[in-house]
Amino acid sequence: MLGYLGAGALLAGLVMGGFSSFLSFWAGWRESETLVRVGRRAFYAAAAMTVIAGVILEVALLTHDFSLAYVAEHTDLSTPVALVAAGFYGGQEGSLLYWTLILAILGSASLVASARLGTRLAAYAAGILAAIFAFFLFVLAVVASPFDLLSITPPDGLGLNPVLRDGGMLIHPPVVLAGFASFAIPFSFACAALLAGRADSAWIMHTRRFALLAWSLQSMGLLLGMWWAYHVLGWGGYWGWDPVENVALMPWLATTAYLHSSQVQEQRGRLRAWNFGLVITAFLLVVFGTFIVRSGVVPSVHTFAVSAIGPWFLGFLAVCMVFSAALLAFRSGTIAVAKEAAAPISREGAFVLQNLLLIGVVAVVMWGTVLPLVSGLAGAQRVVGAPYYERAAAPLFAVFLALLAVGPLLPWRQASGPTMRALRWPAAAAVVALVVMLVVGERSIAPLVAIPLAAGAAATVLSIFARAIRKPQVFVRRRRRYGAYLAHLGLVVAVVGIATSHFWQQEKDVTLAPGQQVTVAGYTLTYIGSDQRQLADHTEFGAAMRFGDQILEPSRATYAGLGGQALTHVAITTTPVADVYVVLAGTNGDGSASFRVFVNPLVSWIWAGGAIIILGVVLGNVGQKIPVPELARRRQPVTLPA
Amino acid sequence: MRLMLSWGLPAVVVAGCVGYLIYTASGGSAEYYVTVSDLRAHTPTGDVRVAGVVQGDVQKSDGGLHVTFTEKDGTASMPVDYTGSLPDIFQPGITVVVEGRLGTDGVFHARTLLAKCPSRFSTQPYTQ
Repeated sequence: MLGYLGAGALLAGLVMGGFSSFLSFWAGWRESETLVRVGRRAFYAAAAMTVIAGVILEVALLTHDFSLAYVAEHTDLSTPVALVAAGFYGGQEGSLLYWTLILAILGSASLVASARLGTRLAAYAAGILAAIFAFFLFVLAVVASPFDLLSITPPDGLGLNPVLRDGGMLIHPPVVLAGFASFAIPFSFACAALLAGRADSAWIMHTRRFALLAWSLQSMGLLLGMWWAYHVLGWGGYWGWDPVENVALMPWLATTAYLHSSQVQEQRGRLRAWNFGLVITAFLLVVFGTFIVRSGVVPSVHTFAVSAIGPWFLGFLAVCMVFSAALLAFRSGTIAVAKEAAAPISREGAFVLQNLLLIGVVAVVMWGTVLPLVSGLAGAQRVVGAPYYERAAAPLFAVFLALLAVGPLLPWRQASGPTMRALRWPAAAAVVALVVMLVVGERSIAPLVAIPLAAGAAATVLSIFARAIRKPQVFVRRRRRYGAYLAHLGLVVAVVGIATSHFWQQEKDVTLAPGQQVTVAGYTLTYIGSDQRQLADHTEFGAAMRFGDQILEPSRATYAGLGGQALTHVAITTTPVADVYVVLAGTNGDGSASFRVFVNPLVSWIWAGGAIIILGVVLGNVGQKIPVPELARRRQPVTLPA
Repeated sequence: MRLMLSWGLPAVVVAGCVGYLIYTASGGSAEYYVTVSDLRAHTPTGDVRVAGVVQGDVQKSDGGLHVTFTEKDGTASMPVDYTGSLPDIFQPGITVVVEGRLGTDGVFHARTLLAKCPSRFSTQPYTQ
């Protein structure tokens, strides 16, 4: 019953979405105010259908309606309720529905106030957005439906993979998927502006909060993924350069570049074509990533089950690429604007270099991700691991860090004497950090570059705050700017955490009898003993270790119902300077147990830095009035005199 | 022209640097991704990654930190020796990717072992 209702809602949504897209394009062509409104309402109707489908799937999950293949394959009666609810986005079809749902909600929100952008821009934006929306609804209704029925209703489901039976499952996937889905909005408005021949910044201002939301969600998604991997997978790290991680990183890098370069356009009217290109690139990277993750074409340790949607996404990617490339080429003459050139050493120059570096990192990551595909076509399949990414991206990140220290102090147009003097603080901080490190005996190049540059970047932000504190009202008047600097500070904190835990991680494999001790990097752990517990759906084998006055209990769970699959529970304790991270590798017949112990310095700084970044974005932007863009009064773009 | 100089030049310089970095980094650390049969056919020098299915002869020692097993694909098989912590889903029947080199003793000495589960985000689908 629920299955038919859900499938019906999706089908109705698809029809409404297709109708909305067609009507909106026609409205743009005819410049008809009325038709635009009808097109928009059709979009809202399709969105409502998607919400209904979402509610139906959630109800089916929570009522254990195992007649639905999706419910039977992703949950069972023993799964805790919160995780049953999370099964919504735990599999291929459901996660696509979740994605479409976010697109429906945010897309509707972005269309509500779009009329003030002028008829044609608003119409084309709705048309493109509705076309993307309709594509997802088509895939859901026809190719990978979460409402497919089983011929025989099983008494119980298969359950969620134990690796996913964790609190992280409740927050990481929905945030990442929402981040991915929200990239479609800036893309749609950018393409609409190109299509309508509008080179002004109205689309940037209108979609600014959506771009920020997409970026914030993506940042949180990456951090939560790192946090989850670190706490659950038990290999002592948080980033493995796996293709699935890479495809989430690339759009984030492109959006980071865009958030900065759009400033240049807002403030100085430059970089118009570049901004169009960046927004389009970010969205194409999202679609590309979706194709990679959901088609199984690249060897990865975590992908969805191989399914039929791969070719559809490849086709969608091709259409989006051709469409946006043609638009850019077609409009390149009207969007190029030459004002007086800026000096290379200026805020504009810093933004351009920062953008080029970020796109450079995207190129590095992209090459590493597609190498198995490319080399596979040419002969023997080749892969690269973490050393490749570290070697190729580290120099780019080093220049990026230097820019983080210098850029915010440079004025627009041209740097002069007083601003060069402002650079003395970051320079001094970097030199002090370098000298301290040399004195304590650090001799390897990478940390000697990274840590002083981070110190310089921190000094830059702090000196800016110190200057502003004399006139505290600027924090309110220009809060967008100071929020951004707070985010810079958060990034520096996270970078220090990443660099420190990367360069100075220590690990030790050890087998201990009860009462024996092990010391790693000055931290002493004493093995006390082990015990076995039988819980609802698994058996837990735990070992207790004394650390100071704390007891750490790393354990292994075995799920008998799932073919004896095991799951590690890592024990982590955070001291001010390092995490002590203990993994139980196994136990022996004589009562001894084997452990892998890591000491990871300053990992907690990564999570703290991430929180500061989000805080900066929130403080700087939430509740900010949207500036009303110059209305369609001047529809013709400013063109370059011949 | 001025436009070309002010934007084109730094773009070309950065692109050149990125290209150089990619070239040198991938030259040094790219590994061949082969099947057990490929490896048996011609033994490459240097590290390779080999995918195959874990057979039933898993022997664990040292509290699970040391493991030996046979890895097999369609036609060929090879013994694997690995020291380190195992992925949670490691058990006979799953596909693993081992990274390391084939020793002169005919045993593959793995530096890393990854579980490659094609349906990591779901359990086995129902076969109707």
